[in-house]
Amino acid sequence: MPSYWFGDVSGGRCTPVAPREPAHLSRRLDTLACDMAAYVPFSWEMARDCGFVSTRGEYIRILRDLCMLRAEEVLAQVAARPEQELIQMVHMRDQLDEVINHLSEKALEWHAARSPGFSRKYRALRGSRVAIVLGGSGNVHIRNVGAGIEHLAAIRRDLNRDIEKAARALLPNCTALVGGIVAARLLSEAGGLVPLSRLPAGTIQVLGARTALFFHLTSGTPPPKHGIIYQHRRVHRASRERRGRVARVLAAKLAIAARIDLYRGAPDEKFLALAQAAVERAGGLHDMD
Amino acid sequence: MIWIEGVLVSRGEGGVYGERMLSGHRVWDPYRSKLSAYYYRGGERDLLPGSKVLYLGAAHGTTVSHVSDYVEVVYAVENAYTPMRDLLAVAARRKNIIPLFADATDPACYAPLVEQVDLLFQDVAHPDQARIARRHVPFLARGGTALVVIKARSVDARKDPADVVAGACGELEGSGLRVDRVLWLEPYHRDHAVLECLRDDTPPQGSAQKGR
Repeated sequence: MPSYWFGDVSGGRCTPVAPREPAHLSRRLDTLACDMAAYVPFSWEMARDCGFVSTRGEYIRILRDLCMLRAEEVLAQVAARPEQELIQMVHMRDQLDEVINHLSEKALEWHAARSPGFSRKYRALRGSRVAIVLGGSGNVHIRNVGAGIEHLAAIRRDLNRDIEKAARALLPNCTALVGGIVAARLLSEAGGLVPLSRLPAGTIQVLGARTALFFHLTSGTPPPKHGIIYQHRRVHRASRERRGRVARVLAAKLAIAARIDLYRGAPDEKFLALAQAAVERAGGLHDMD
Repeated sequence: MIWIEGVLVSRGEGGVYGERMLSGHRVWDPYRSKLSAYYYRGGERDLLPGSKVLYLGAAHGTTVSHVSDYVEVVYAVENAYTPMRDLLAVAARRKNIIPLFADATDPACYAPLVEQVDLLFQDVAHPDQARIARRHVPFLARGGTALVVIKARSVDARKDPADVVAGACGELEGSGLRVDRVLWLEPYHRDHAVLECLRDDTPPQGSAQKGR
């Protein structure tokens, strides 16, 4: 028995939906089964013969109102998800990093061009130290850019703090394991808390290593050991031969942590203690099998 | 199609995405739109007034807005959140665009909303573009046309684009679509081809099942 947005057809007889309010039509549409095998193509004339509408213009108008309403509803749902904001914050942080690096690079180049004795070697010119060097320049523009970099760095610091805070609220267990930034990145790559919590550990392990993974699948290069979780210090500080193991164990614990985060939303101290110990063990130099 | 001194245009309210205007018509840039490029490359399946179009991969509604200038109604399917906002903004001012927030790999969920159409246009970045086209054959009316953009690089970035297109044509065999002509979109879009398909009713049905 095919059902369409305007009515049900059964035994050659069509029963129109009433009332024709978009909200009512939309709720009814949600109850219809999604099954292509049983689908019978239709034309608008069926809706007319059904008594649902009398003209083509009316048909299009009601259908369009219904579809606009449904699309707007989905958009509103997505926008209301708390992780949406967190994902945007992480994107902005990445952008700030990029801008700060670019500006520092160019301003230092200019500064070096003016002072022949200047070299970047042995100076560990990172972060706020760049601003100090630039602030001492004799050129007003270089000094101004230096002040701008300092300002951006302050924004980044505050943003970082808020990302940590938001991640701790939304993903308390994941954040405890890998820190707010990495947890937020995983969330962003997975597309939300619900999708993240449904990923198997193996996927979490290589989340963010898409290119390497597909290259492995198509041409047999070694598989990626880690994706985003590499950014967590326990993975990138592990010795080369243990990195894969740490990544694997950490991903396994993250998969559990994400589920606790979704369904309980509170830190589970007992789980965390065991998980931390497991990750330590994986990275430790002792008791290697 | 409307051409003004070799420039493809459409007739409608301008200012949708900052497009240029030419004697009161909206210029339809082949470098931005694969459908426009198709007409520039000699595609002959015109958008006819009064026709119904199912558009898969509507994205930000840029090309959709031009299609809507030509035809009676466009069913515009898009499944990403960010472009959907733009598509809704376009649809809000054009009464013949019906936006569908859905995944084109799973047409069953919007099937009860979409009547049979005269033209299926598919421009999706998906590794299995041929299968998506197969699944939409039931929506195409008898004598209808399907224009399927094959993004060779989305199917397999490492294969020769010509092989990818040949593979897609092979997969469409027996689906109810007959590939009539392959048009490459060079120089407007690299490694993109449009398969011009006709609904072929020689095997009367069974296409939806075989599409899996």
